Amino acid sequence: MSKHDITLNVNGKKYELTVESNELLLNVLRERLYLTGSKYGCGIAECGACTILKDDESYFACMVPAVAADGWNITTVEGLADGDKLNPVQQAFIDNSAIQCGFCVPGMVVTSTALLRENPDPDEDFVKDYLRGNFCRCTGYVAMVKSVLDAAGKMKEAK
Amino acid sequence: MSVIGKNTPRIDGPAKVSGKQKYASDIIIPGMMYAVTLRSPYPHAEIVSIDTSEAEAMGAVCLTYEDINPVLYNERSVSVPAATYRDRTVLPKKARHVGEPIAAVAADTEELAYKAMKTLKVEYKVLDPVFDPVEAMKDGAPQLYDKIYLGDEEVTIKNNIGVVRKIDEGDCDAGFAKADRIFEEDFELPRIYHCQLETKGCVAAPDSEGGITVWATAQSIHGNRHIIARVLGLPLSKVNVKKVTLGGGFGSSIQVNTVTPICAALAMKARRPVKLLSAREEDFYSHHKYPAQFHVKIGVTNDGVITAAHVKALIDFGSHQIQPMAFMGCVAGWFASLYKYEGNIRFDGTAVYTNKTPCCAMQGYGNPQVNFAIESMVDVICNEMGFDPIQFRLANYRGTGEEFWGQGPTIRSIIKSCGVEESLIEGAKLMPEWATRNEPKDMNAEILTGVGLARGFHCSGTAGPKEGEVIDYSSAMVKVNEDGSIDCVSPVMDHGGGTWDALAKILTEVFKVPLSMVCLSPADTKNTGYDVCTHATRGVYCGGAAVYNAAVKCRDRLLEFAGRAMDEHPSHLEISPDEERGQGYIHVKGFPAKGRTIGEVAKLAQINSWGTAMYAESFRQKNCPPCFTTHFVKVAVNTRTGEITIPKVVIYGDCGVAMNPELLHGQLIGSFNRGLGYVLYENLPHDYDTGKLKNNGLLVDYKMPTAVEMPTAENVIARHANTYEPTGPFGAKGIGEAALASVQAAIANAIYNATGIRFTKLPITPEIMLKALQEHGLAHK
Repeated sequence: MSKHDITLNVNGKKYELTVESNELLLNVLRERLYLTGSKYGCGIAECGACTILKDDESYFACMVPAVAADGWNITTVEGLADGDKLNPVQQAFIDNSAIQCGFCVPGMVVTSTALLRENPDPDEDFVKDYLRGNFCRCTGYVAMVKSVLDAAGKMKEAK
Repeated sequence: MSVIGKNTPRIDGPAKVSGKQKYASDIIIPGMMYAVTLRSPYPHAEIVSIDTSEAEAMGAVCLTYEDINPVLYNERSVSVPAATYRDRTVLPKKARHVGEPIAAVAADTEELAYKAMKTLKVEYKVLDPVFDPVEAMKDGAPQLYDKIYLGDEEVTIKNNIGVVRKIDEGDCDAGFAKADRIFEEDFELPRIYHCQLETKGCVAAPDSEGGITVWATAQSIHGNRHIIARVLGLPLSKVNVKKVTLGGGFGSSIQVNTVTPICAALAMKARRPVKLLSAREEDFYSHHKYPAQFHVKIGVTNDGVITAAHVKALIDFGSHQIQPMAFMGCVAGWFASLYKYEGNIRFDGTAVYTNKTPCCAMQGYGNPQVNFAIESMVDVICNEMGFDPIQFRLANYRGTGEEFWGQGPTIRSIIKSCGVEESLIEGAKLMPEWATRNEPKDMNAEILTGVGLARGFHCSGTAGPKEGEVIDYSSAMVKVNEDGSIDCVSPVMDHGGGTWDALAKILTEVFKVPLSMVCLSPADTKNTGYDVCTHATRGVYCGGAAVYNAAVKCRDRLLEFAGRAMDEHPSHLEISPDEERGQGYIHVKGFPAKGRTIGEVAKLAQINSWGTAMYAESFRQKNCPPCFTTHFVKVAVNTRTGEITIPKVVIYGDCGVAMNPELLHGQLIGSFNRGLGYVLYENLPHDYDTGKLKNNGLLVDYKMPTAVEMPTAENVIARHANTYEPTGPFGAKGIGEAALASVQAAIANAIYNATGIRFTKLPITPEIMLKALQEHGLAHK
């Protein structure tokens, strides 16, 4: 294994790190930057619990070698809120009682944030289809889908 | 001002949506090592030797059966010891299923631990495996065990039969003789996987006084503490298990997960903190839902009275016992409590060892399984004998005043609240398609639709008036701070359903304070009394009752202080909410003008050295009331593809007073989603040549319903019955496990209504549906 110097911009903060070539971005975020909001759920891009944003696009952090993320502008679930002010998706998940155990929630709110940046005016089918890569074993998804539609409505009103 | 029965934003919501909530795997300690496990590639093999020298030369710390106390235990410790089978050690001398951990390695990094693990040289003596439960019971089949223990009593295992459980009440033979019609049918339910999002994990840190602190995926911190202490040979006071958030359990952490004592033992050996997190593939090989085969016989009179029922069960529980005895007792109890049967019931259960992953509770502990059989049979009876399914159920069900078995035959109480009638009558109105379901339809249509009904329940806790096979009590400490805010230390775990919010609401109601004035403290096994486990849908009903009782006694103390301060007898005082001050307000009953806030009283008590208004106690409920559910499901069967979709569902829950209606509905809806997977997709077949799971433990090859498979939001209709449980905290009982019980039969009954095809075996995948449609001449060309 070889070592590589990389730079990650995470939640507006610049990190200069030396990583092994096989180190995964998820592990670097969790165990080295202590950003444990992104979760390990499967390690094979199947459950979505590790979802992060690169700019406005969602990625599975469990599938990205840290060395490949050199120079990326990353937002993790910890970076979605503006200080204590939650983003509209986060607030909507609380308002619509869309949270149970909460282990999938970081991935869900990150994916939903990406969804609304891609399509600010989604319908229910669009939301359901977009979230099919994120597993939740607790809620049955209905309240989560409502949350995303609610957040879309609130964001439109705010404009 | 009361928040009970109102939707309030969940207290942990902001932490959960912003990634700040800590689960076991999120714990990071300076100097922490990372561990991995070596798992058996064989379904049945003696471990002759394990050479760890190369791994140790790499700087790794290794743990094998030679390094760990070979104490025989059962990781599920909710039953009394005398009713608990013990057949396992933490690391075995003999592997009995593929994926069983046989050694563990810790090193400075996960990668180094993995590389070191790969150097372990294990000499196996491979043995013949047995996978089929019927084969396993034959003479000459490979034997998994010779001897195990029931409590302290040695038990010889013959023909891999782990447990036989027979229960016979009333007079079944007379009941069947009285019946006009006898119905008999076989049912089969698959082995499935919990797939809780959080894989089992643990962080363990030895302290400088010879003790250890543990953060583990757990439904019971005290259950973990007891087993870790036994395995490590430490006094309980040297083992502290911290309460951390649970990332989904569904029953798979009622037991102490195998990785937990492994991690603790590694940490003690290394004298350093260790983190051990299961990979998803490993988790897939660690805990499954009990599969079940039933033969059901029910007798009915021409006027619609069930006169007797007999259930035979065959349970293939895998490679060791996580209490199939308790499981079968519960199966018998759920079946016995569904209908009256004129008191004539018989249960014959046999549970068999096979070389597969051990099975454990998964939302319902046999309830979804046997409910599928009985509620399908009721549908058969109603269809064949022309009874109205709602009226037939109302005539035969066990309701208020009847006996309910809360956790097998030894734990029973009388039903005191019941929303069954409301759920059936009002539920049918919300599904108008129910009334027209038997009208003639075009059976040549490409999409066939139908509506099905089933009802179910679960217990709220496992306490009866008399103590039985299962331990049930909880504890709480409650304290009024000097500004009127409330602290509570509770060992109760929350699966995510909102148990912790319910505990907080109970406190607000006792002290008449806003929710923001109540805080659940960080808790662990050192600062809390015992709580058995958040299982059996007991969190709110039993854990909440302990909080309620401690709070009431704490309030009495506070009123005593208030009496001194106000020169009144405490019995003349009461607390009212004071919205202006955001506090509870103590005053003479009926005279709110003269009073003090609870904060003022607590402060006076402090500065006058009267003391702190606080109370700690343990508390046991003495009932196990059923929480009921009813499902009306509409299905659409595609006769071209065999695909089954759900255009609409009506779910009725009866949890007594709903602490938080939206969270309650969330549980009902989430359970419907899991039931959908159980009926239509999920199955975990083994490869009988290798003993491996056919999906190899990969999530990508285990299909579960996603957001897409659910009906549209407006067609998922969740309601709750208007009931009050007199023995529960502020009228509450449970809901969690009940919410799954009747999903399976409701869907299968709807498929029958749509197609005339009766499925008695799950899952009903598109392939199976299509084949059945072809056989019945209904497949679309």
